Amino acid sequence: MRVRELALLLLLVPGASFAQQAEDGLIGWFENYDEAIAEAKKTGKPIFLEFRCSP
Amino acid sequence: MLSPTDSSRGKLLSQYVTVRIIRMDGVDIGLFDRDWQNPIYFFILNADEQIYLRYGGRDETAVDSHLTLESLELALKEGLKLHEEWKAGRLPAPPRPKPDFPENYPALVERTSAHGACVECHLIGDFKALQHEEEGTLDKLREMYRSPDIRTIGIHLDIPKGLLVESVEGPAAAAGMEPGDTITHVEGKRVYTFGDMQYEYDKVDRAATETHWSVDRNGKPVDLTIELPPRFWLTNLVHRHWTIEPRPYFRTKELTPEEKTALGLPADGFASRVTYVDGVADLLGSHELKVGDIIAGVNGVQKDPIANTAELYVRLHTKSGEASKLDVIRDGQHMEMKLTTGRMGFRK
Repeated sequence: MRVRELALLLLLVPGASFAQQAEDGLIGWFENYDEAIAEAKKTGKPIFLEFRCSP
Repeated sequence: MLSPTDSSRGKLLSQYVTVRIIRMDGVDIGLFDRDWQNPIYFFILNADEQIYLRYGGRDETAVDSHLTLESLELALKEGLKLHEEWKAGRLPAPPRPKPDFPENYPALVERTSAHGACVECHLIGDFKALQHEEEGTLDKLREMYRSPDIRTIGIHLDIPKGLLVESVEGPAAAAGMEPGDTITHVEGKRVYTFGDMQYEYDKVDRAATETHWSVDRNGKPVDLTIELPPRFWLTNLVHRHWTIEPRPYFRTKELTPEEKTALGLPADGFASRVTYVDGVADLLGSHELKVGDIIAGVNGVQKDPIANTAELYVRLHTKSGEASKLDVIRDGQHMEMKLTTGRMGFRK
């Protein structure tokens, strides 16, 4: 498995919102760190944070 | 469908809040510190910004040499376990690293966010090094040769299985590490992934002569002291050649002691053979080296306690733009050659 494969696996649908992705059966990805922190506080879930150079 | 929630990894990921950051503006790079030559890198943390583990890391061969779906799943599972530990109050938070932000580096801001350009990860490393260079605080050896390769000390991992040791040789074998061990600690720090391990190993002082690791062997902890060979930190700089100045525009390979002796050169000197010449050298008038030339000395110096090649000596002991004199052996004849090292355009 290489970066491209990993990136594809984790890829969000460009332009789709978190809610839209979730509704589509995809993993919803926040694009804002503070919103993710707030969501983690609300849900009690841990955070999986990805830094990527290009989308 | 990508990242389906009913796949094994999707099921794991759905237990997380997932967030993707593609610009580093405003990110606490003190908290999320890493080797900035990783274009993709992951952290698992909690809402209090306590980092449980890292997933990422690379070697000189490729950005993704240590990324696999299998090891990612292991990391995701481990993150969930650690989160349960934290919720149960059994995972105290370590001191938070000193906050740092890209905005603290004026040259980086000027190059990127000031005109809407992306603050790319590798630029953070480049411009931090630049600022430290200007402030006289650059640890050149460490910043130039980040992420030492554990294969240099004889550790070969079964990469999809995280930190499971596949085979050992050299210093690691001499220290007692065995195939089937799972690395658990580096210099006393708990590590869960290759990314964790590489980050902690990168902190080892470049002048250190040993490093202390622990492994799990059949459920029992075993502490190991691994003797570090000279230049344990040395790696190929091809993927980070622009990070630290100067740019010599050539690469060399150390001669054997026998070759040096045959040439009348000190066996413990840094005499080395030119293996690559950057085409830019000719354009810039940097030097006239040819592949196959032997560099016997630089500015009259033939030995150095750290450098084993002329390339490394130049990188460590000259400044960009500075002229040096090379003692070059070509076709058996010594000749003096001028070398003027370069500087990356964005740093001028």
